[in-house]
Amino acid sequence: MHSMVSGFGLRERSILHFNVADFAVAVERVADCSLRDKSLIVAPLHANRGLVYDMSEEAYRDGVRKGMPIKQAMRVSKKAVLLSPRPQLYQKAMGAFLKELQRYSPLIESGQIDGHFFVDVTGSHRLYGPPADVGWRIRRDVRKQLGINPIWTLGSNRLVSKVASRLVKPVGEYIVNHGEEASFLAPLPIELLPGLNLKELEKMREFHLTTIGALAQLTPNQLMVPFGGRSGVLHALSHGIDDTLIHKPSTQTDIVVGEHTFANDTSDRNEVEAALATLVGRAGLALRGQKKVTRRVGIWLSYCDGVQVIRQATHKTGTSAESLLQSLALLALKRCWQRRTRIRYCRLVCDRLQRQSPQLSLFAGNDTRGIKSRHVEGAMDSIRKRFGCDSIGLGRKYRSPAAENRSQISG
Amino acid sequence: MFPLRVRSYYSLMQGTSSPESLCKRAKSLGYTGLALTDTDNLYGLWKFLKSCKTYNLKPIVGAEISEPGSKRVITCLVQNKEGYSNLCQLISARKTKENFSLAADVAPLAGSLVILSSDMDLIDIYVQAHLLVAADLGSRPDRKGRALRLYAQDRGLYAVATADSDLGAKKESSLRWLLRAIAEGRSDVPTEEDKGSAVNYLCSQDDYQQRFAIWPGVVSDTEELAALCTFSGPDNGIVMPPWKGEGGLDAQESLREKAYQGARGRYGDDLGEEVVERLDYELRIIEQMGFSSYFLVVRDIVHRKKEDGTREKRRICGRGSGAASLVAYCLMITNVCPVKYNLYFERFLNPERKDPPDIDIDFSWDERDAVLRDVLGDFKGYAAMVCTHIFFQPRMAIRETAKVFGLPGGEISRVTSKIPYMHGSRGGAESLNDTLTSLPALRGQDLSDPWPAVLALAEQLVGLPRYISIHPGGVVITPEPINTYVPVERAPKGVPIIQWEKDSAEEAGLVKIDLLGNRSLGVIRDAAAAVQRQGVLLDENNWYPEEDAATKCSVAAGNTMGCFYIESPAMRLLEQKAGSGDFEQLVIQSSIIRPAANEFVREYVRRLHGGAWEPLCDEIGDILDETFGLMVYQEDVSKVAVALACFSHGEADALRKVLSKKDKIVRLREYKEKFFAGCTKNRIVPKEIVRMWEMMMSFDGYSFCKPHSASYARVSFQAAYLKCHHPAEFMAAVISNGGGYYSTFAYVSEAKRMGLKVMAPDVTMSEIVWSGQNKEVRVGLMAIHGLSEKFLQRVLCERQKKNFQSEYDFFGRTVPSDNEARALIHCGALDSIATHANRTVLLWQWASFQHVKQNRSCGTLFEVPLPEPPKLPAPEPMTLLRREYSALGFLCQYHPLELLNVQSPQGGRAATTLVKINALHARVGQRVTIAAWLLTGKLISTKTGEVMEFLTFEDETSIVETTFFPNVYRACAHVLQCGRGYKLLGLIEEDFGTLTFTVESVEQIAFS
Repeated sequence: MHSMVSGFGLRERSILHFNVADFAVAVERVADCSLRDKSLIVAPLHANRGLVYDMSEEAYRDGVRKGMPIKQAMRVSKKAVLLSPRPQLYQKAMGAFLKELQRYSPLIESGQIDGHFFVDVTGSHRLYGPPADVGWRIRRDVRKQLGINPIWTLGSNRLVSKVASRLVKPVGEYIVNHGEEASFLAPLPIELLPGLNLKELEKMREFHLTTIGALAQLTPNQLMVPFGGRSGVLHALSHGIDDTLIHKPSTQTDIVVGEHTFANDTSDRNEVEAALATLVGRAGLALRGQKKVTRRVGIWLSYCDGVQVIRQATHKTGTSAESLLQSLALLALKRCWQRRTRIRYCRLVCDRLQRQSPQLSLFAGNDTRGIKSRHVEGAMDSIRKRFGCDSIGLGRKYRSPAAENRSQISG
Repeated sequence: MFPLRVRSYYSLMQGTSSPESLCKRAKSLGYTGLALTDTDNLYGLWKFLKSCKTYNLKPIVGAEISEPGSKRVITCLVQNKEGYSNLCQLISARKTKENFSLAADVAPLAGSLVILSSDMDLIDIYVQAHLLVAADLGSRPDRKGRALRLYAQDRGLYAVATADSDLGAKKESSLRWLLRAIAEGRSDVPTEEDKGSAVNYLCSQDDYQQRFAIWPGVVSDTEELAALCTFSGPDNGIVMPPWKGEGGLDAQESLREKAYQGARGRYGDDLGEEVVERLDYELRIIEQMGFSSYFLVVRDIVHRKKEDGTREKRRICGRGSGAASLVAYCLMITNVCPVKYNLYFERFLNPERKDPPDIDIDFSWDERDAVLRDVLGDFKGYAAMVCTHIFFQPRMAIRETAKVFGLPGGEISRVTSKIPYMHGSRGGAESLNDTLTSLPALRGQDLSDPWPAVLALAEQLVGLPRYISIHPGGVVITPEPINTYVPVERAPKGVPIIQWEKDSAEEAGLVKIDLLGNRSLGVIRDAAAAVQRQGVLLDENNWYPEEDAATKCSVAAGNTMGCFYIESPAMRLLEQKAGSGDFEQLVIQSSIIRPAANEFVREYVRRLHGGAWEPLCDEIGDILDETFGLMVYQEDVSKVAVALACFSHGEADALRKVLSKKDKIVRLREYKEKFFAGCTKNRIVPKEIVRMWEMMMSFDGYSFCKPHSASYARVSFQAAYLKCHHPAEFMAAVISNGGGYYSTFAYVSEAKRMGLKVMAPDVTMSEIVWSGQNKEVRVGLMAIHGLSEKFLQRVLCERQKKNFQSEYDFFGRTVPSDNEARALIHCGALDSIATHANRTVLLWQWASFQHVKQNRSCGTLFEVPLPEPPKLPAPEPMTLLRREYSALGFLCQYHPLELLNVQSPQGGRAATTLVKINALHARVGQRVTIAAWLLTGKLISTKTGEVMEFLTFEDETSIVETTFFPNVYRACAHVLQCGRGYKLLGLIEEDFGTLTFTVESVEQIAFS
């Protein structure tokens, strides 16, 4: 296990992967221990067209899946307890977990709020002992501190440790030794390999490549035939080669993002525009707080049948003015809302950021309107900072009830 | 005030009220008349005229004429007959002329029309053309109206108020919003302002008086305009197709000559007294009624004139009551000898009949379009097809409304696909929502918000017209240009169609000739051709399959799957019960099966097997002896009415006709009174009269006349003969021609049960269609899902040049698309040319071929060989079969149920207790479990209104008909789906030698 690495040679990397199965359920069970031995479904309660957010292992076995309509989920799993999702709470739990991990490494990468962490413990042997010991210790700590029992796996790269964790779900641990990556992967079913899209999986089934080993047997040239440009990636994956680094989540982002999920999918233009206005308000606040302007506003729409469309609207010089952001967002919305289907989710992305020019206009006297509206925005921002970002906004016809619920969650 | 400019729901996707309800409302508001002016059409003319008569209103016929690409609209009102003909031509011009413009195209066709317009430019043009034009001030005074009124006063024109309404009543505004949203493809939730937006509805006289009090005269002038319009509807009498004489003979002489000539062809030179007498009688009546030219025109259609002037008879089957005419038989328009089979001519023609007769002719389905093209070409400008008005049915209404509410397609389909076909006229008063939630097939379906709102709106939509389409085969030919009788437009596929559906066309006196497509004629043609190709002599002119003993036996055994008209489960059961393969009995059997006649079917079987019976009543005489005293055919209704209640032939025929109509209740009342009175006069006991009347009422909806059934039975026998003697050729033709009662899957199973070998498709051997020879059926390339017509032609063309050497050769020469190549590989069609490769490797080679083709920057002189494929294992047997099934929809070698044992470990254990269907006859009276595949089903309502179902299941050994009583059906309807396997537990019973399986419980068999 310990190879002598000298000079500038590549050091063998050790990547720990932690994964809390059904994270939302795990957190809820910590929050209310009476739920521990019950089947759980996490889904928005007040929405009769809502979708399942997460579910416990028992419910999964009954046939409940993420994204399934609540009614259907309740039908297949009659005994399950229904809970409303509390993303804020899960975020907090993620933070606490992260804190435990930070004691051992600064290189930690996590997903959204799904209970996944990659921890790079390469070279910390002298400080904390062998990586496997770190894994054991963290699990013990997390179990004690947070009451959550994560899976942990150890591998020489992110790919291997991820596959290993898929193997031991929902509880356990797995250590893949250096040099054994390929032989570890070879007998496993191809579906366990991360990073394949559905089409590729379909093709592999067609060619009867059922195990990762069968895929690994093909030369990169042969892989070119069905998979074209992806052949290199697939070849590396099938041999357990993965050089990607563990990225520390950057604090300095170059985009401003807001999102909104409609509890009940909707085709009501007013409701969607109201939700968008709320997102614009938050984005504007964030931009002005960072003293930045955006030159592009993007809208991601997810329709309730799963189709996602992304469209943008651009501005030449960049802006952080709320009314202008609003019209850019509406333009982008118009461009992506072309279908007759209901909307489930909407995301606002402001990118191509640049610093706001401190230069004032030479002939400011003529632009009294602009100055006035900037004053208003300033006042709105101070109110928002004090009473929450949705406390005040530009006039809207209709305040979406879903948005109110959301602000309840954040409050 | 006379309400001018009122639109009904025939202003498609705009108006909301039917002509009937508009008339009703007009009457209740105290109007003396109504001007119905739908946009660019007269779709609703006859309903409007009828309702005006009912409510004693003065009708004004008219239409709005719009202009493509602008918002300008004028309203045209008909003054007299000439005006009507002009309006028809004007609408036809609007519908068919490119760049139609109101400024240029109206004036030549505006004689005897009153034109209303609110466009000053147009009014100027029309005034200069000396047309009668009035200024249309709309339904409320406004600024534009004020200017218009002053302008009209300057020129001394009428200026009138109009209703300009889309709605019958204000409450219909949300329906109108929905219609517009559907038409414009919008999807958003209606807001209050949408619902209440300014759409006009028909207001009361007082409302208009008050509104226009500031402009005296504009309301009262409407009466003056209305007085100019004296036209009360077209009256052309019966409009016969014209016959262009041949050799100077007039139609009557010509018909006589051709009939006798044909008779000698049919019966030989010695015609016999009976034939001559009947021919003379028929010819006399035909002449008397003036239908000679009609017969001749139909004859010319059947005997197509070729380029060289000779005539060639097409493969046809005359159907309907026309088959009762000996003249038609002699003209080769029909196939059954009416003398031999005792067919009732008066059913077809009698001097009292006021409505035009119709001769319906079936052509082979793939030749029908050519026939139509010829007819429409020969009579260009004088012929057009009849249209059908397509109304919103519950399923379509729900789908469209749900789309407006933004529900995703998948969710909508989940609901609508399970709705059984419900016609607009659902009996009960319950709402659509209640109906759906109580449907057993929709159990467990989530119908929460917004579905209730969707259903409530969809409910209102049901019964509104959506668009017009082409009638399957009705053609109208007129002596004058057809657009002087009725507006003509063009169907999307380019065919001219009149604006009326068949009932309206009939009311207008337009004689319709039905030229329909029939798949079975294609089947017989193809099978006979295949047989003849093998050197077997089959002279179709002297072919009497109904006299062939083997054929009769197989009909008597109910082995008629695939045989036209007698292949339905109910029919096959009846054949078995009757156990008689006689032509006459088959004619009865195919007529007696109709929705309301189950008890008569049982009674028929009993009597056929020698059960005692007595005539319906003594007075009836022997008129029903042929059918064992039962009323079987449509004309039996007429016969009984004549015999018992002293109806005239004409009245009796009208009664029969009313029975098959949808809106019969009112009209039936008169006949009922008359029938009861007539019977009482003949001293028939009241109880008997009631029984008789009820029996006649069982002909409601679907029923057949004897000539029709006899004509079809002949085709059935031809099919049965071919099935019996040339099974491979026949089954191949059945599947190739498509459109039978069963799916291809079911026919393939049947072929296997008949001992035929089903050979997998093969690109080196298969034709496009299926082919059969010597107990082998080769799957045609058409059976493989997703192959384009062009690709199939390429395959055949390349194969003719040189057969394919390898998969590479095949790919290179036929250039399949990705899904085509994949489907061919999956179904095994390439196995024979790729001798060294399994199907996985074939797939790889295909990917490799595409890769090479993509990366080749320029064309190469020499073919680049494909790189050696890696050694890939062949697919698992189950995967192989699953792919074959998905590419073909059936399996060539197995029945899916046979794979059950291989498939699941529990299945293996259960299979020992399962009974095969061909072993069921030994288990009569027992409860057994079978594994079976659902083929098809028929939903019926019991007397108490509950739903039950008759389903047809099969396994690899046989077919079984099952019954699901209401309680069982309710419990399991939501799991039943055609093309799946089920385990059924139930009771086996026997009835006249046939097995029935009454199902008690159902379990789905999971595959994979």
